[in-house]
Amino acid sequence: MKKINPVLQYFLKIISMLRTNIRDYGMYIALVVIFGVFSIITGGLFLGPVNFTNLLNQTAYVAVLAVGMTLVIVTRQIDLSVGFLGAFLGAYIVVEVENAGASVGLALITALIITIVIGFIKGFLVAKVRVPSFVVTLAGMFIFKGMLLLKTNSTTIPATHEFFRIIGVNYLSSYQVGPFNLLALILGFLVIITLAVMSILRYRHDKKVGIKGNDLSMVISKLVFLTIIIGFITYTLAAYRGVSYLIFITIIVVIVYHFLTTKTVLGRRIYAVGGNPDAAELSGISVQRIIIFVFISMGVLTMIAGLMYVSMLRTANPNYGISWELYAIAATYIGGTSANGGVGKVINSFVGAIVIMSIQNGMKLAGFPSNIEPVVLGAVLLLAVIFDIYTRNVRSIDLVGVHYAKVKYNEEFALARNNYLEAKKALKVVDKEDNLKVLELEFELMKAQGQYNQIKDRIRSSKEEEFVNGV
Amino acid sequence: MNKTILEMRSITKQFPGVKALDDVTLHVNEGEIHCIVGENGAGKSTLMKVLSGIHGPGTYSGDIVFQGEVKAFNGIRDSVNSGIVIINQELALFPDLTVYENVFVGHELVNNKFLVDWKKTREETKRYLDMVGLDVDIYDHVGTLGVGKQQLVEIAKALSQQVKVLILDEPTAALNEDDSKNLLNLLKELKKSGVTSIMISHKLKEVISIADSVTILRDGRVVARMEKDELDEQVIIKHMVGREIGNIFPKRPPYKGGDIVLETINLNSFDKTKGRYVVFNSNIKLHRGEVVGIAGLMGAGRTELALSIFGNSKKYKISGGVIVNDKRVDLNSPSSAIENGIAYVSEDRKRNGLILTETISENITLSALRKISRNGILNFSKQDEVAESYVGNLSIRTPSIHQRLRNLSGGNQQKVQIGKWLFTEPNILILDEPTRGIDVGSKFEIYTIINDLVAQGMSILMISSELPEILGMCDRIYVISEGVQTAEFTSEEATAEKIMAMATV
Repeated sequence: MKKINPVLQYFLKIISMLRTNIRDYGMYIALVVIFGVFSIITGGLFLGPVNFTNLLNQTAYVAVLAVGMTLVIVTRQIDLSVGFLGAFLGAYIVVEVENAGASVGLALITALIITIVIGFIKGFLVAKVRVPSFVVTLAGMFIFKGMLLLKTNSTTIPATHEFFRIIGVNYLSSYQVGPFNLLALILGFLVIITLAVMSILRYRHDKKVGIKGNDLSMVISKLVFLTIIIGFITYTLAAYRGVSYLIFITIIVVIVYHFLTTKTVLGRRIYAVGGNPDAAELSGISVQRIIIFVFISMGVLTMIAGLMYVSMLRTANPNYGISWELYAIAATYIGGTSANGGVGKVINSFVGAIVIMSIQNGMKLAGFPSNIEPVVLGAVLLLAVIFDIYTRNVRSIDLVGVHYAKVKYNEEFALARNNYLEAKKALKVVDKEDNLKVLELEFELMKAQGQYNQIKDRIRSSKEEEFVNGV
Repeated sequence: MNKTILEMRSITKQFPGVKALDDVTLHVNEGEIHCIVGENGAGKSTLMKVLSGIHGPGTYSGDIVFQGEVKAFNGIRDSVNSGIVIINQELALFPDLTVYENVFVGHELVNNKFLVDWKKTREETKRYLDMVGLDVDIYDHVGTLGVGKQQLVEIAKALSQQVKVLILDEPTAALNEDDSKNLLNLLKELKKSGVTSIMISHKLKEVISIADSVTILRDGRVVARMEKDELDEQVIIKHMVGREIGNIFPKRPPYKGGDIVLETINLNSFDKTKGRYVVFNSNIKLHRGEVVGIAGLMGAGRTELALSIFGNSKKYKISGGVIVNDKRVDLNSPSSAIENGIAYVSEDRKRNGLILTETISENITLSALRKISRNGILNFSKQDEVAESYVGNLSIRTPSIHQRLRNLSGGNQQKVQIGKWLFTEPNILILDEPTRGIDVGSKFEIYTIINDLVAQGMSILMISSELPEILGMCDRIYVISEGVQTAEFTSEEATAEKIMAMATV
């Protein structure tokens, strides 16, 4: 058989990869579209160094919450209380430091203990007492709202301590290289190198043990794409003031949780509990302990998010915390986490948070009235989940194989298609009164349709190696 | 008196891959009690589903003739309107509604077009409760009644729907002796007032005491029909099991004896949700290198026994002792059972055994993650090595170890489940229905795996509903009926007839 043109082959492979893994890449495509649209509307302002850095700073607290929420939803639970709990813990730290004169370290440690105890109680009620998590955390929502009001005494309290300024406003200091921040450049470079080394090692390992992974050309294409994205982010951050503490903390949280969920025993157990709690229990995993852990982890991240928020705004306020949990849950679902449990990636929830905050930030920047923003956000959430359901059962496709198959089965395909169209036409012109004839033609149509579908399916499911090795 | 009320003529029903019913003919006279018996999977329940319209017309071939007319019931509502009411093993009651609400749910008594006549509903309910001899407050919530009383509520509900033919699928399976007797007497009473009953039952003594005629099914065919005066337990059993045990079981050297590795001493399990003992005074012994079978009918308490040994005490209150390798152990969770070298291959691999959204290599290593990790961090090359070796040793057919479980056939899924448990390095392997729902070729492979494991000194406890499998594979056999151990046979003593007789006590 005639060998395929290598350029065409390359593009067919890329499209095959995108179509086969559309669930994973869909969100990135959506993000690129959103970035593009807002860049055009705002005349490039949206992706400019200042706004983009601000966007990431604003995303930080939602992203941290979304990371914790991913684990909660993966284990088939929900946590509605994170908004007011976060605001309460933020207020607690501010009030302890500003009004009660506690040291920052002491305030942080007591806040940490409080949130761990609360997380344990939530987890205990859900896992052991078997109160639905929706109810437990709904109750928590009321309780923490009240605690926030009590702690702030319903007044705004300024956070003047140096610590809050550093966390909320400062950037990791470093040398400037011309107009660029050196540390940001170094960090970006390190990330790209790490990714490159990891994917090459993965490729070599797969090859060694005989796993059929991606081609080298695909691995390199992916890497080039990622390098461009990370390079762009690095450039944008470096061109402004570098990496803020908010962004830095967020990245650390995402990396730690990515590692936890993908590389550790604990992570595997969390996903097993979410995928099939009965099987997990019979595999010797304590489902109750896992769920309690997940709520404690959510609590710790909630505290970090609350601290980030009060530091960013330099105040504690009784009105903080509203809808935080909704943003976190929405980010998680936009990131493709399954409400049926067992499926979901921390990194994707992080990107989901960026999607949400981009919409918020972009619409404000473009001068849309702020009342429209929730409508758009709701629509995006709905579309994301519909997309997820729609693509749940995509079959893998190999367009190179399809290309060969199209050539090979060309005649059969044309024949089947022709038969089908003929049969359809025949049924249209037949005398409708002649029942017997209609019946006969309907039978013919069904037969032709069946053959047509068969050949289409055969072409659709063809793989490259069937043709290359056979020749 | 001998007027035909119902006839099912040459019913054939095909499921993907199996013929569930093959030319089955059923003949029921008006006002009689007709019993249907057969082994698990003989087609009894399928036949009743065809009759009650759950499997609608077009999904089977053959005719249903009811009161002289050919009927095509499309759904339960159709059959109920004609007076055929089925009461399933799983009762269809609403536990949080009151008795009278339950009796008339779905066919509410109405005042005019849309208002429920609650006064009349309560009066009528009382009348039907009297008919079935149930003395409860009609304001009671059904969930607070015992299973026996719930069953009577179901029958009252059937009567309120003007039932002509009452179908009961194993009505006494969940009842104690008094309640069972009560129910059978009620059926005799109803018979006097003209209600015809069709009863599926495993308990042959019950069948013989109550039936006017009996149809025996085996492998989807009718093998015999007997009238009241010909009924004989031995004959019925012979018909139920009468199939040749082919040589589909690979040979292994005869069992030579060894130390006791597992022993239960008066093990009792009380099911908190069902409110009764599911395992009663179990005393079993398992020796090194031995295959011991647990035979019994579905619902006899075999899985419950296995889970009690395996330490799943969430659902059961367990008393008595388990001795593993001469040491009394307190198995209060699956992880402690795993630590003591026990593994449990579940009968319901999709629900309790495997995580279908994950890959082969992830599933195989799930129960022993410590072995592929250091300080809580997973070693993926080791995980893949492990998976590759089990895929090879157990000849799991798959394009890759990274294939998700839901894409594998039943036989290969089962092998993954066995691999998963072998990786915990057990010395006692409990296999619960190891070959359910898998094809003959894979069955043979699984039997071969069992023999290999035994040759390496593994001890196996095998639960199975398939008598040929029990007889072909086991060195010793315990028979369980309603939670009670009724017999123990060596492989030489055991016959299908003997086991069936003890399982239907």
